[in-house]
Amino acid sequence: MTAPAALLRRRRTESAPARAGRRRPAASEQFAGWAFVTPGALIILVFGAVPIVWSAVMSFQRNNLLTGNTPYVGLRNYRAMVHDPVVAQAVQHTLVYTALFVPGAMIAGLFLAVAMNRKIRFISLYRTAAYATMAISTISEAVVFIWLFDPSYGVVNYFLSLLGIPQQQFLNSPSQALYVIVIMTIWGWTGFSVVIYLAALQGVPQMLLDAAAVDGAGPWTTFRRVTLPLLSPASLFLAVWLTINALQLFDEVYLSTQGGPLNATTVLVYYVYEQAFINFNFGYASAIAYFLFLIILVVTAVQFRAGRRFTHYRS
Amino acid sequence: MRTHWLGVALASSLVALGLAACGSDASSGGSGGITISIWNGYTQTEAKAFAHLVSVYNKAHPGTTVSSLYVNNDNTLQKVLTAVRGGSPPDIAYLYGSWAPNVAQIPQVVNLTKVVQGPGVSWPDFWVGERDVATVNGKVIGIPALVDNLAVVYNKTLFAQAGLKPPSPDWTWQQFVADAAKLTNPAKKQFGTAYVTPGTEDTVWHWEALLWEAGGQILKPGNKQAAFDSPAGLQALTTLRDMAITDHSMYLDPTDNAYTNVFNSGKIGMLVTGPWDLSVFPNVHYGVQVMPSFPGTSGGHQTISGPDNWVIFNNGATHVSAAEKFLLWLTAPAQVKYFSLATGDLPTRRSVETAPGFLQQMNKSLPGVDTFITNLGNVRQARPQTPTYPKVSQILGNMIVSVLLGKSQPQAALAGAAQQVNQALASTNG
Repeated sequence: MTAPAALLRRRRTESAPARAGRRRPAASEQFAGWAFVTPGALIILVFGAVPIVWSAVMSFQRNNLLTGNTPYVGLRNYRAMVHDPVVAQAVQHTLVYTALFVPGAMIAGLFLAVAMNRKIRFISLYRTAAYATMAISTISEAVVFIWLFDPSYGVVNYFLSLLGIPQQQFLNSPSQALYVIVIMTIWGWTGFSVVIYLAALQGVPQMLLDAAAVDGAGPWTTFRRVTLPLLSPASLFLAVWLTINALQLFDEVYLSTQGGPLNATTVLVYYVYEQAFINFNFGYASAIAYFLFLIILVVTAVQFRAGRRFTHYRS
Repeated sequence: MRTHWLGVALASSLVALGLAACGSDASSGGSGGITISIWNGYTQTEAKAFAHLVSVYNKAHPGTTVSSLYVNNDNTLQKVLTAVRGGSPPDIAYLYGSWAPNVAQIPQVVNLTKVVQGPGVSWPDFWVGERDVATVNGKVIGIPALVDNLAVVYNKTLFAQAGLKPPSPDWTWQQFVADAAKLTNPAKKQFGTAYVTPGTEDTVWHWEALLWEAGGQILKPGNKQAAFDSPAGLQALTTLRDMAITDHSMYLDPTDNAYTNVFNSGKIGMLVTGPWDLSVFPNVHYGVQVMPSFPGTSGGHQTISGPDNWVIFNNGATHVSAAEKFLLWLTAPAQVKYFSLATGDLPTRRSVETAPGFLQQMNKSLPGVDTFITNLGNVRQARPQTPTYPKVSQILGNMIVSVLLGKSQPQAALAGAAQQVNQALASTNG
């Protein structure tokens, strides 16, 4: 019995520093981990989470941020939204814009990606060119499109006139301005979906395409039945990403039409900006921002739900 | 588990230290002196001239250091609000005049009413349009930093080609409309004039000048009711409509930045604009004339001005008095004259205009600016000083644009807008 006891003792004496040794690195690792994470986490908390919570509070206040006087008004800001015709217009414009922009950017991106997914001369040049639209600053993009679509001096009207189509007013027309912005932003974002689709296309196994060919499928059938389903994860990602961006449209509107003419391009985020920084209704602007948050939440949830059904993941 | 909290505590104190280091601006300079911070949006020539003035002041006042910080003018109020909330506003900030009624609500803004009445300041030397914008409900909240106004810049070459005499100082809107029609040539894509139509304040203030010239008012005294739905309002709106809809002599710019290029390309005959645009017309042989008038009305030749203010924020009595002292020096005639000559900005003081040789010197560097300077005398009123003005402006913007795009008739548009404005003024929440 002595031996095992001695052994035990020895083991214990041995294991005590061993355990402590194991524990000490764990503790210092934990310390290091927290030390690395904390500054970032704090910055995110201060500049991300606090404003989110604060704007939630503000949405129940009458707050112009100028005076210290910020009385709570309950749901008044939210109720005012229901009766504000511009909010209704802004929602409509935002949804119409999203419904056109997201499929537009995806289809244009898919088309270009498929066209560039082959071995031809200068292919990297084309690919770079396609992505260049993402690298160009929004302000340059807006200025170029303003001139392309200028009613009197624009190239677009010139080409239309060659086709015998009369001069269009474009950004000067309340019924056309939003569509010009759709075209402008599709152009700007196509490079992004090209890159995503190109990457996804590289992942489509040649074996499956060959098998489809052996089974007698033509190029179109192969694309529709084999390639497209295999691209569905990329499509879901793009749909979600582009939708969130579309619902937050601001830059192009601010730089070109500033919400005009006659509110025709006033989208939700632009209206939030107008209420907050032009009218100093920070409470009301916060309420609209939360309403937009709700829209994005619902739309994204629906997309993921639908995406799960239609997305095909290769195991 | 203790180590984990220790880690958090240590890391957060590091962050706190870092933030504190960022936040500790030199609020009290070395050797017992005082540092006052001034936020401004000057770039290029203006920045150079301003830096020169600041260094002159700093040299002459060893106890005080003026430290200048660049902030894009468009964002200054946002940043000032944040800084005020954080308890560290700048001592002085350059703020747009259109914000004045809202700025006046910030409790930390220093009331300068007594300061500007002090000896040697000579407050009436500032143009009335400037003083009106620096004053909210009888309280002076700022000292004029910049002044401008609208006048007509016209293309002399196009006038000669059309066989037209250049506009004279006593011209009328009737002549303006007729000239615009004659200057228009659809084949050459040439327009008589231009107007910006995003529906923002830039759309609105051009029309407001016409409204005043026609003898009208924007709001009734007391700022509780609309006054623009009047024969004067109708005359002002119809004049613009005649050019946009009837004559097609008006280039409508929905973006607010295309028109300068079109004018510089020699495609526009006349432009109602401000002195800031002159430097971007190098390709045009242009002239400048005051705004036309509506004969038979009480308005005469008027214009509108958008002055900006230097505003002082309360960082304690010593800072306030140092800031006031610097600001009064900065806006004294000698410095105003220096700054105008160096930058081409209009002088904020009347006495500078009449200084011998001043106009000629200004004109040498920026041809035509003398008309803008003398035109400051035609600034007889200011936009209503009410916090609801931004909302009023949006309503007026939509009214003007809807008429210029042919979506509604002037009379109906005026009535509709007046109703909306009355509603906006009645509800406190804007």
